[in-house]
Amino acid sequence: MTQRVRRRVFSLEFMSLGDTNMDQTDPLSRIPTGMRYHFGQEARLRRSVEETGMNIFDGWSYEEITTPTVDYYSLFEHGMGQAEAHRAFRFTDTDGRLLALRPDVTSAAARAAATLFAERDRPLRLCYAAPVFRQQPQSHAEWRRESTQIGCELIGANTRVADLEVLAIASEFLLRVGLEGNYAITLNDVGIFNGVAESLKLDPTSREEMRQLIDVRNAADLERFLKPHTSTEEAQAFAQLMQLSGKRESLDLARRVISNEQSHAAIDRLESLWNVIDSLGLKDCFEIDLGDVARLDYYTGLTFKIYVNGAGYRVGSGGRYDGLTGSFGKAEPAVGFVVDLDALADVLRVRRASGSSMRTPPGESPELTANDPAKKPTGSLRDSSRDPSELLSEALERRAKGERVSLELTR
Amino acid sequence: MPELTIAVAKGRLQDEALALLARAGAGVSSQDLESRRLSVEDESGRYCFIFVKPADVPVYVEHGIADCGVVGRDVLLESGTDLLQPLTLEIGRCRIVVAVQIGVSLNDLGMLRVATKYPRIATAHFGARGRPVEIIELSGSVELAPGLGLADCIVDLVASGRTLRENGLKEIEVIDESTGRLVVNRASYQLKAEAIASLISNLRPEISNPGIDGGVSA
Repeated sequence: MTQRVRRRVFSLEFMSLGDTNMDQTDPLSRIPTGMRYHFGQEARLRRSVEETGMNIFDGWSYEEITTPTVDYYSLFEHGMGQAEAHRAFRFTDTDGRLLALRPDVTSAAARAAATLFAERDRPLRLCYAAPVFRQQPQSHAEWRRESTQIGCELIGANTRVADLEVLAIASEFLLRVGLEGNYAITLNDVGIFNGVAESLKLDPTSREEMRQLIDVRNAADLERFLKPHTSTEEAQAFAQLMQLSGKRESLDLARRVISNEQSHAAIDRLESLWNVIDSLGLKDCFEIDLGDVARLDYYTGLTFKIYVNGAGYRVGSGGRYDGLTGSFGKAEPAVGFVVDLDALADVLRVRRASGSSMRTPPGESPELTANDPAKKPTGSLRDSSRDPSELLSEALERRAKGERVSLELTR
Repeated sequence: MPELTIAVAKGRLQDEALALLARAGAGVSSQDLESRRLSVEDESGRYCFIFVKPADVPVYVEHGIADCGVVGRDVLLESGTDLLQPLTLEIGRCRIVVAVQIGVSLNDLGMLRVATKYPRIATAHFGARGRPVEIIELSGSVELAPGLGLADCIVDLVASGRTLRENGLKEIEVIDESTGRLVVNRASYQLKAEAIASLISNLRPEISNPGIDGGVSA
């Protein structure tokens, strides 16, 4: 008798454990994977980093934009490419159309540029700080499914100065949050890879295979992959080149190893950017990384990644995507970047806790309070007749004084 | 403070990996090796080694806790982590294979039961062929499964093939080759570029030059 009772109790327990859909058994304390709370010091730190970023954007005359949190899935499919958009949380509208929680801000900003702001003067400068949602995290180390992107878009200008402006902003942001000497921005131009792939006449599958081998810096397999297409020496030299991360000398080497025209034009573009960075005294925090070949279908020129000591994954990325706004009916050049607030705040929190950051926290720093846009006039700087390094150096000088600047860019 | 932290997979690859690293100027003293410490510095003090289970190497490296790691390609494929793989080390060479009991044909079966330690690799392999499978994940002695009726075939790592033979199994398909890889964290690759480039260039000439303890022994 006792045994029978015991058995019944056991089976009841078993049922309730097994059936997690039952309301009584799914504890309210549970949080979905990849979601989290922020509070206390961490929440304050996040807020101040966000404010630092938004102040800097404002200092370069960027206008804040908020985009819909829920939007049509097709927007992101066009804006980010299918593979990236596929990671979004998706659900259906009352009419059956597919909606998504925004997985990025750039797509909606680009649509706004082509529609809402179609008649406005160019260049258009937009900035934002907003959470984005991804159902599938990017990697095991980036486990979050909600993260906050701080970013900007410069639409309607395709000059070298436009690229440099965006790089200068990214660099200023990292300096102002106290990461001097602890970050690297790596530069590449998609034209270099595209030129090589085209000169080898690769079909889409082999092209993707080559891209992946370069992406993981697998020199030995890349060499093997290239053997049927080119001489052994060339294959070896190219494989070594793709492993390099360095300064200007990478470009000199690239010019010797790669012979096609499209790649050479891209190397020239990168070199002229590098020259200005060098003349501005910023080259210590920049690297040339010809092996950065992520999202080649999206970017059309310059690409860059931001790495910070203490973060195992990149904390930001950006580049030129001249093909994006075209899908919304008004093709124009655009360049921009995003920083992942969560990754950046994590690094800063750990650095502060261990006392390795000597600088005053953002928000409390005197330079930031002096940077109140209402009190400062906007200095307009014209680029048409001037040398880019001169123009940028004046902009940086004024920014250092906390002034607001606006570069007048030619298209 | 060591320049780089290197995670080394314990077990199958460990001895060969350490011998290779020693030839490349990153040697651990025999005293440290004999100790049971899981974190030791090399004799030059430039490198810190941590010894972890093979499947944990990609985890430590992806999070940037270790800058680099030495691990088999089989583990990398299974982990699906996003790491740089600048060098193939030509150590611990083996194959990832499908094996069945001698005399059994898989063609007659509508649905395969596959026992494996590599569910991800097995799923991708049969998935690409449109073959419906039930993956039975085991953590060891996978070779037993077909004989005992748990599975129709196995997906496992094979070096010499002796274990397969002694358990009445035969290899019917090679899914992939696997050797040791040097893996590097994406951020470390940029932020510690010089130290990593020097490790790579010291390792490269030693790779095709197996020392006294070289060669597959399993």
